[in-house]
Amino acid sequence: MEIERETNEGNSRRIQVRFITKLKAPYKVPTTAIAIPSDLSRLGLSSIVNKLLQAVDSEWKTEPFDFLIDGELVRMSLEQFLLVKGISAEKILEIEYIRAVAPRKEEEPSPHDDWVSAVDGSSPRFILTGCYDSLGRIWKQAGWCTHILEGHSGAISSVRIINSEGAGSVTVATASKDRTLRLWKFDAEDSTDHPARIRAFKILRGHNASVHSIAAKTSGDMICSGSWDCTINLWRTNDTDTNGDAVSIKKRKVNNKIEESQSEGEAVSTLVGHTQCVSSVVWPQQDTIYSASWDHSVRKWDVETGKDLSDIFCGKALNCIDIGGEGLALIAAGGSDPVLRIWDPRKPGTSAPVFQFSSHSSWISACKWHNTSPLHLLSSSYDGKVMLWDLRTAWPVSIIDTHKDKVLCADWWKGDCVVSGGVDAQLRISSDISIQ
Amino acid sequence: MSHQESQKLDNVNPLETRVEDVIERGDNDFLDDNHDQDEHSESSQSHQAVDESDSSEDEVAPRNTIGDVPLEWYKDEKHIGYDIAGRKITKKERRDKLDSFLASADDSKNWRKIYDEYNDEEVELTKEEIKHIRRLLKGKAPHAEFDPYAPYVDWFKWDDAKHPLSNAPEPKRRFIPSKWESKKVVEYVRAIRKGLIKFDQPKEEPRFYRLWGDDSSSADRTKHLAYIPPPKPKLPGHEESYNPSLEYIPTQEEINSYQLLYEEDRPKFIPKKFTSFRSIPAYENAIKDSFERCLDLYLCPRVRKKRINIDPESLKPKLPRRNDLRPYPSTCYLEYRGHEGAVLSISVEPSGQWIASGSKDGTVRIWEVETGRCLRVWEIGEAVQLVAWNPLPELPVLAASVGADVLILNTGFGNEEEQKRVKELLHIGTPTSDDSDDMSSFLSWIQDEKYDCIRLRHYRTVSSIEWHRKGDYLSTVMPAGESRAILIHQLSKRLTQRLPFKLHGLPVSSVFHPTRSIFFVATKKNVRVYDLLKQKLIKKLETQLREVSSIAVHPAGDNLIVGSKEGKLCWFDMDLSSKPYKTLKCHPKDITKVAFHRSYPLFASCSDDCTAYIFHGMVYADLNQNPLIVPLEILRGHTSYDGRGVMDCKFHPRQPWLFTAGADSSIKLYCH
Repeated sequence: MEIERETNEGNSRRIQVRFITKLKAPYKVPTTAIAIPSDLSRLGLSSIVNKLLQAVDSEWKTEPFDFLIDGELVRMSLEQFLLVKGISAEKILEIEYIRAVAPRKEEEPSPHDDWVSAVDGSSPRFILTGCYDSLGRIWKQAGWCTHILEGHSGAISSVRIINSEGAGSVTVATASKDRTLRLWKFDAEDSTDHPARIRAFKILRGHNASVHSIAAKTSGDMICSGSWDCTINLWRTNDTDTNGDAVSIKKRKVNNKIEESQSEGEAVSTLVGHTQCVSSVVWPQQDTIYSASWDHSVRKWDVETGKDLSDIFCGKALNCIDIGGEGLALIAAGGSDPVLRIWDPRKPGTSAPVFQFSSHSSWISACKWHNTSPLHLLSSSYDGKVMLWDLRTAWPVSIIDTHKDKVLCADWWKGDCVVSGGVDAQLRISSDISIQ
Repeated sequence: MSHQESQKLDNVNPLETRVEDVIERGDNDFLDDNHDQDEHSESSQSHQAVDESDSSEDEVAPRNTIGDVPLEWYKDEKHIGYDIAGRKITKKERRDKLDSFLASADDSKNWRKIYDEYNDEEVELTKEEIKHIRRLLKGKAPHAEFDPYAPYVDWFKWDDAKHPLSNAPEPKRRFIPSKWESKKVVEYVRAIRKGLIKFDQPKEEPRFYRLWGDDSSSADRTKHLAYIPPPKPKLPGHEESYNPSLEYIPTQEEINSYQLLYEEDRPKFIPKKFTSFRSIPAYENAIKDSFERCLDLYLCPRVRKKRINIDPESLKPKLPRRNDLRPYPSTCYLEYRGHEGAVLSISVEPSGQWIASGSKDGTVRIWEVETGRCLRVWEIGEAVQLVAWNPLPELPVLAASVGADVLILNTGFGNEEEQKRVKELLHIGTPTSDDSDDMSSFLSWIQDEKYDCIRLRHYRTVSSIEWHRKGDYLSTVMPAGESRAILIHQLSKRLTQRLPFKLHGLPVSSVFHPTRSIFFVATKKNVRVYDLLKQKLIKKLETQLREVSSIAVHPAGDNLIVGSKEGKLCWFDMDLSSKPYKTLKCHPKDITKVAFHRSYPLFASCSDDCTAYIFHGMVYADLNQNPLIVPLEILRGHTSYDGRGVMDCKFHPRQPWLFTAGADSSIKLYCH
């Protein structure tokens, strides 16, 4: 057996390679060229780099690496890769290695009472989740719930952190199937063992059907919401401006004897154009809103004029959309089929997606770009998996399949964690994902 | 003399070929040049020649006297024969080829020279002789002046002859009619009258003939039997040789192994080696073979079959490719689980956000389409046969049939105003508000406190519920023969009407026309079309099916599909005829439900064989164009339970998706 393997290795071709990296000191290997067998795949290369690092530092702990040749991740054996890409094996090959993008740690699940339908991890201090039991929850860390947002009468479908910069109070918004949006304020710093129950300071009414999605303006003073009534409504978030609200405050106080002031808000404007349920909205820049709908289109809206600037037709009902990539230019969307599509609207003349990732086996429920890296995004699907994608390869970089049923929502948290919630009523946090 | 003549002729014969050559060659260069000139002079010359020739031929005797013997006898001798005196005629010296060629090149008259082998001398033909030969070759008289068409001169002078040549008097028979002839004529006349002699009738040509008549009849017209060629035997190879090489001869083991093969698989011929040709025995199957051949000929049908070589694929109608007809539901991505018994019926909310389902376990459930979440459950306690969502989006009520009752449930969706309206609508002040007394015997409107809804109590199990498009009317069908089998309820006035028509056969299902006030009732055999305003029967569609199970109307209203319990699906084009435009036989078991899509050109049928079929059903606005029906996809995934498969199928109102309800207690969503 041993002999056989040796002869096999002897038969296989050898390639001169040099390992380079942009990583810092402990991850650096000597840049001398070495000859390695050409039938190695990522695992083999990773073990070679680990061996080299061990030679430098004897207490080195094994660490998975990923490898780039000419800006493309190696996902097959080296020989095949070179053959497919048409790279000559005669020259010394420069292989760049990065730390593999994969969760190294799985935190304790945070249990909910019902399906977790929405999650937002845009603030590094806490995670906001929405649940089918019509409550929103704030999680300080895995398993530690600090606040419960109470007041909706229907399942929460979407949550968004509007303003987390303020030292004391944080503003969040939730959308529900009871056709309302609610705005909440709480202090992120105070933390008790028992979660504090808080009420919304503002209720936004105006949609005729269940609200499906919220997005907040980057400045935080406006939010938009997409609903089953085919419209997108824009709302103001600041509570002390219009006098119309004051009337409702009084009314509320008289009627319901609520000790806390709870104002109602009306939509500032409505964007009409979609013919079916607006399933997802994003507000990446000051004056543009992107929306995805079940009418198979992705639309770009101008906030000032309320005009529909451009359409992309996909052919499938869309569930989620996110804007990211280099210069916030790429549109990623997933929907009623297992394909995550990425469009580049800058590309003239075509509406065909530039990337199509199709490793999922069911509907895609959420997709999110990484905050800082323009190359990484995640997608969650009804097949119970969250996949991390790198634009440099067509295969998922990593698959998180800790959920037992459909994953309904997923987001990045703190830049190196993935938070996801699903039908198994758990919020799961996969942490320690190294993305430079 | 005659002997000499023949000799002479014989001698000429071998020459003739050469003469021909000569003439052919000389034709153009010599003779033709001065043809006209020579004509006269030669004619005069030839006169003399003719005179001479008769005598000269006798005079000039051949030198040689050996007679008509082969000349090769003298081949090796020095002489060629003997002259008249008995002396040897010695051979001349042979000139070699080169000399003769040079001589021929020098001598312009060489082409006229002929070597006479018999006499061993060279003869030069004269001009006249060549002329003769040419004329003979052309088939004319040899002498030019001989005129074959000279006017006939009657040398006998008749002028002064007093008597005819014969003096005999004219016989009497020349003047009287022949007795024999008249006898013969009488004989013939009698024969004709008796009909013994028949004249050939002129062949009557058929006035009409088949322009496109098939050629097969021409084979019948031929009187004789058609030649039937024997089957072509294989050409013998090396193994059929009497002394084949060793590798052709099977070993004993191989021969034994043949016995294990089937009779027809065994090789017909086993090569054998014989030492010599004569040791080959007689062919043992000779008689058997010829017998079989005779048997073949005797038994074979004497009809020549016309073989038409048509590719069966080319006979299929040209259908568009499936990929061009996208989108259509093809893959199951979502499942709605929660029911504990067979799901009997589903209904999709008009906006497509929720679906309702009724099950055998006695519950009505409402599901969120997008996630598969069960939002609401009503525990009715009895198997829910049918559910139907009100088509008005602002009136979110659900009709469910439980046995003989139809419940109109408030789903709780919609905003406050809508909820208020629904609550008002579903509240009946006095339970016996029915004014028509005959109606109350078999139908009553009851307020149901438990579910806060209206309960319509029928006198028999309801087999079909259908909402009118305006959401106010609801038709229920009971399988009864009476005229009260079909009831139309008005929700706002809480009124119930009977259909004032006489039905022939048990009603199965009913549908409202999507745009006009027309009502379709499917009985077990037929579909009847009524106009509700004019109160009369418009049409009767004959399905030619054994038992109709379901019916669906195209959103444009002019086309209808009917599913049957024998697995057949009929498409009716009501403008075309009352017979099915197409009948599709695809399901091996009962079709339970058929459905049209509201906006996409799709229709589906589901069956107890656990499958649902998706079809493309395009209806064109152009009345001349028939609907296009293309089968697209078979959707599998449900499992059979208790002999039932897929119980219901409904399309999503806005997406090209299909919901199927299975007896295996699951609901599946098939997406494109």
